[in-house]
Amino acid sequence: MANVTNVAHAKSPSTRARIQAFGGFLTNMVLPNIGAFIAWGILTALFIPTGWIPNENLAKIVSPAITYLLPLLLAITGGRMVAGQRGAVMGAIGAIGLIVGSEIPMFLGAMIIGPLGGWVIKKFDKMLENKVPAGFEMIVNNFSIGILGFFLMVFSFYFIGPVIESANNFVTSAIRALVDTGFLPLLSLINEPAKVLFLNNVIDQGIYYPLGMQETLNAGKSIYFMVASNPGPGLGLLLAYTLFGNKIARRTAPGAIIIHFFGGIHELYFPYVLMKPVTILAMIAGGMSGITIFRLFDVGLVAGPSPGSIFAYLALTPKGNFIGIILGVAVATAVSFIVTSIILKLSKQPDNEEEFTASVEKAQTMKAEGKQVMQASIHPLHSDKLAKVSFACDAGAGSSALGATTFRKRLQKKAIEGIEVKHFRIEDVPKDTDVIVVHKDLSDRARLAHPDKRVITIENYLDDPNLAQLLNEIEKR
Amino acid sequence: MLSSYLQGNTTFLERVSSWEESIQAAAQPLLEKGFITAQYIEEMIQNVNTNGPYIVIAPGIAMPHARNEGGVIKTGISFLKLQHPVVYPDHKEVNILFVLAAVDSSEHLELISDLSSLLIDEEIMDKLHHALQEQELIQLIQQVEE
Repeated sequence: MANVTNVAHAKSPSTRARIQAFGGFLTNMVLPNIGAFIAWGILTALFIPTGWIPNENLAKIVSPAITYLLPLLLAITGGRMVAGQRGAVMGAIGAIGLIVGSEIPMFLGAMIIGPLGGWVIKKFDKMLENKVPAGFEMIVNNFSIGILGFFLMVFSFYFIGPVIESANNFVTSAIRALVDTGFLPLLSLINEPAKVLFLNNVIDQGIYYPLGMQETLNAGKSIYFMVASNPGPGLGLLLAYTLFGNKIARRTAPGAIIIHFFGGIHELYFPYVLMKPVTILAMIAGGMSGITIFRLFDVGLVAGPSPGSIFAYLALTPKGNFIGIILGVAVATAVSFIVTSIILKLSKQPDNEEEFTASVEKAQTMKAEGKQVMQASIHPLHSDKLAKVSFACDAGAGSSALGATTFRKRLQKKAIEGIEVKHFRIEDVPKDTDVIVVHKDLSDRARLAHPDKRVITIENYLDDPNLAQLLNEIEKR
Repeated sequence: MLSSYLQGNTTFLERVSSWEESIQAAAQPLLEKGFITAQYIEEMIQNVNTNGPYIVIAPGIAMPHARNEGGVIKTGISFLKLQHPVVYPDHKEVNILFVLAAVDSSEHLELISDLSSLLIDEEIMDKLHHALQEQELIQLIQQVEE
């Protein structure tokens, strides 16, 4: 018995760590690209035919940007995180197959094929390591990506079509079945995941709007216009990210709110769900409570709100229905806000500031070490995790390798284990690195390439006061 | 491993007139043996001009190298010791140079590892500063190799 519990005990942290690492991976794939989502959102909110200042010419950008640009960016980032620049190229090549092979924007697919492409080329490079005759590296490098990329492109092209089709069929028949039960809040179970997977047009324009129009002919209004287009759940999610998300998410979410809630471009909140897939539960809960309120007050809209902004909602609300509509949106917002907040609180990554503060507070209660902890809180770090240290230089071969090797030796001497010390070209430092060590002459470039990372600058690769301090920090934990 | 790679690749000079010349002199054995092309020497110098003297890895010690853009034919390392130090940009004085030529970013890691053992061993480095010929240097390095 004792053995069993021991094993379970030993296993659980590593599983948790792995899930956290995976969550961090998704986040890092999405976050650098939020700006592109926002640019697209502004463009769309302004210029589509139902937008603020319709402009047929500029609206031409809308579709290519969301079909090609955004998924490609995700795939490139994903590929780069796995295998540097070569991974990025492979990721993009793979993603274009998916994109052309499907008729809807392939976000989730791009987030899978990007890292997969990176992984493929990484494995292949590893296999060939040291086996390529001198002078042929360039040719082998280019043709390996070229040929493997070709296959990946064709594979993803043929693979994705059937997948999307069956997803469409599944969603359509599931919604029909749920409508037949008459208990509409259940629809959120399908709606919310389907929306985030960019099947929103399929479900709204393919299913709900026809149902809604039918009902409007008899009753003058319909709830079907609102079951999937309620902007409340997305607003709640983004509000929660605004208050409790990690640093970058916190800064970008307010902008996304404006475009989502007032502009009606729901796509803006999708990346935040993709970043932490479990928040789909918050979206479902929000959607369900919204529908429940709409039902309770027996309200509906007179036409399909497109785009689904709060203004479109109010403009399409028939007389006497305002209280029910506003309440439905508000309650959906509140519910998804609360659930998202709980999720964000529970799944806080250890590399987060709040967690850091919390751990500092916790430690402060241990009076014995009180002093040290206070000192630590005076100099807050970007990250309190120090598992991966990356030395970087221009070539990623010489001084960075020497620095990393020497640092490893120093760790070994102190019998410190579990720290990964590697060397890279500055631009290829992987995203899950905790600290980047770089020569002071190269620090600007390192900060430019990795604005969110802690960068330690040194002048001496063998014995630098800043390195000694880092060693000290590692030793203390 | 480092000691065998350095065999026949060491140079001991009184002085040189510029840091550029120190890199050229240090890399000469590798060039003569066909490990690198003249282009690679240019690239190492250019690297300092572009990125700063970060190849001065510790006081007095430089490790000239550059990205392999085709100028490295075979992984190798060479050594230059100057009686009188030469001044690199930012007023950095250097009298010991290890020129590194790496085909890719992993093949030469054992070399680097030995080099690191050497450079952090203060006692050996002390003696190395007084070494006057290849045999002395090689024997010192052999002491730290695994």
